[in-house]
Amino acid sequence: MFHWLEKNPFLFSVGVFIVIAFAGLVEILPNFAEASRPIKGLKPYTVLQLAGKEVYKKDNCIACHSQLIRPFKSETDRYGKYSLSGEYAYDRPFLWGSKRTGPDLHRVGNYRTPDWHANHMWNPKSVVPDSIMPAYKHQFKNVADLATAYAEAVTVKKVFNTPYGDEIQPGKAAFEKYYKTIALPEAMKIAKAMKNKDVLAMVQQGKIPEVVALVAYLERLK
Amino acid sequence: MTLTEMQGYAFFFLTVFLVVILYGYILHLYRSEKKGERDYEKYGKMALDDELHDRPVEANPKVTNEKKES
Amino acid sequence: MQSSAALEYDYSVAKLYMWTAVIFGIVGMTIGVLIASQLAFPELNYLFGEYGTFSRLRPLHTNVVIYGFTVSGIFATFYYSAQRVLKVSMGESKLLNGLGYLQFILYLIAATGMVISELMGITASKEYAQMEWPLDVLIVVIWVLWGVIMFGLIGMRREKALYISMWYYIACFLGVAMLYLFNNMEVPTIFFSGGVGAWYHSVSMYAGTNDALVQWWWGHNAVAFVFTVPIIAIIYYFLPKESGQAVYSYKLSLLSFWGLMFVYLWAGGHHLLWSTVPDWMQTMGSVFSVVLILPSWGSAINMLLTMKGEWNQLTENPLIKFMVLASTFYMLSTLEGPIQAVKSVNAIAHFTDWIPGHVHDGVLGWVAFMIFAALMHMATRAFKREIYSKSLLEAQFWIQTTGVVLYFTSMWIAGITQGMMWRAVDEYGNLMYSFIDTVSVLHPYYTIRAIGGLLYLIGMFMFAYNFLMTATAGRKLEQEPQFRSPMA
Repeated sequence: MFHWLEKNPFLFSVGVFIVIAFAGLVEILPNFAEASRPIKGLKPYTVLQLAGKEVYKKDNCIACHSQLIRPFKSETDRYGKYSLSGEYAYDRPFLWGSKRTGPDLHRVGNYRTPDWHANHMWNPKSVVPDSIMPAYKHQFKNVADLATAYAEAVTVKKVFNTPYGDEIQPGKAAFEKYYKTIALPEAMKIAKAMKNKDVLAMVQQGKIPEVVALVAYLERLK
Repeated sequence: MTLTEMQGYAFFFLTVFLVVILYGYILHLYRSEKKGERDYEKYGKMALDDELHDRPVEANPKVTNEKKES
Repeated sequence: MQSSAALEYDYSVAKLYMWTAVIFGIVGMTIGVLIASQLAFPELNYLFGEYGTFSRLRPLHTNVVIYGFTVSGIFATFYYSAQRVLKVSMGESKLLNGLGYLQFILYLIAATGMVISELMGITASKEYAQMEWPLDVLIVVIWVLWGVIMFGLIGMRREKALYISMWYYIACFLGVAMLYLFNNMEVPTIFFSGGVGAWYHSVSMYAGTNDALVQWWWGHNAVAFVFTVPIIAIIYYFLPKESGQAVYSYKLSLLSFWGLMFVYLWAGGHHLLWSTVPDWMQTMGSVFSVVLILPSWGSAINMLLTMKGEWNQLTENPLIKFMVLASTFYMLSTLEGPIQAVKSVNAIAHFTDWIPGHVHDGVLGWVAFMIFAALMHMATRAFKREIYSKSLLEAQFWIQTTGVVLYFTSMWIAGITQGMMWRAVDEYGNLMYSFIDTVSVLHPYYTIRAIGGLLYLIGMFMFAYNFLMTATAGRKLEQEPQFRSPMA
């Protein structure tokens, strides 16, 4: 029946391709539109939060932390309401993670404060004595890359119609304006709540350290 | 009928269809060898006699002819 | 025209990849042992400042062992064995050989770029697809070159039918091409931002749940088409050749090939159990993961039966030992995977250390063992030398086997312990343990795992030494051995 296939490399390859492509078509395509609809009232990330998401990616928090609360009582008791598809509508990429060496973070903004995060990122053992998480002191010195985060906001607004307002426009001038009038004040609020002198001093000089962006992002996770 | 239900049915029947094909294939393989129409196992030799000068199990007519002459 | 009697197989490209496999093996596994130790002893996180934390190094470990070690091994065996089963030499076509060199150079550039960018934290953050778009483009070029060479060789073949290994190489080529392209669909931000931001940054075309679906469709099938399909290609050639026994059943191999191709892709959904993807997809993912046992075991049993009547070789030839144990580990992990994909088991196992445990009995026991055996087999032919030391090979086998067993047993216990503790409630229905309790309890298992990993790494160094000495100081052979690789 199929024997001739092994002697016809071209048809053989076509056969293999059909068989392996078929599953993807049935599994993935049908639910694309439905799964990408945001839940009511969901706002896109601010640029500062996006920059925080970049820090989350850069220091690869997903190696140990998930952002997906499964519908079990033990999980909702521990982390809060189980996750809904529409909550992730603006997550590019998704950051569910696949391993919980540390706890889930999908609603961490509900039960941790900026100053808790500040202490935790500087030295995890100061707030959780048995923690095996490394300290991320470099996030207090490195300046967050707001420009790239801004570029991302511009791109998703243009390409995917993510509902950003008129403040997000291409070009360096638009970015400078956004940085001074929106991003810096937002960072200042976070920095004050973090109760860390050095961080506050840096923001006052007009520089936003990575940890401020990260905390802005973590505070958003609710 | 919703789109999801249709996917469900399409998927189910497609799977049954492919399972039937796969089992038909098994039957076909063993039957044709039993009747002596084909010898599949000779192809296993391809890994063993794989020197350039070994004789191919089934020569590729397009290539071998020109090479043999030269 | 040259007569075919004077022609020889040309292993020059294969040799290059053999060396990179050894080098990346050492690098990747060393990082692996370091990060395993960091979980047991967190002070080790501070060896290299920002660049030495567990979180930064973990993707580097996975990427170097997958795209460095394993892919080098796959390319090396391809450039070696494809010529032989097609009975056509790379040397017959200057063009194909040149493209082979070009592919190797691009591969080296991409691999270097991958290591540097991941150390710097430049990442798309999707697991096993961390590389940003400039590297993705380069990888597509490398892959297309591989396809051109593969089908170029096939076009020149003297053997009309394709051998089993070739089916699997073709499937690997097509499968990875399709999955990689779709999963890495991303929009570089620099094209839209009007010159603002980093040039290498991109955003995923998909968002949230869709991104997760595509990612795990990839994540699972990257395992299928990098860790399973091409490794089966390797065992279908090297085990029969090394033992001198034709494959037990060609018919069975046909069945398991088509069965595997059809079924494997369905199983991706099992990474998303209990998540926000629709229920029926999750169930399908589970069911097909269980069905997957059949074609996987078809290949493994076929391999074990190939040794029928020749089991004495198992005691006499360490390479056979590696390969037979590899197919046994293959059976183990293809049984373990479907078990984890059962929804109720998955509720406990997901997010725990059982998952890395499962991955590692597959990759350490099956993938790496096959690559070690294939590299040594090829070394005797490509360098025309005897294997430098049989006893070193034997010692490596036992040390590494012990390492693998320590690794997966400790991770089984750790995973199940943690999964049970997360859900344990007291008589009033309150959670019994805070999260940190479930971390502290794992310390002994993390230590055992690090020791297991260290043993494996020691074995890797023994292998590298043995390989180096074989290539440079092994006793010279007059001609290529027919079956069994000679060793001193």
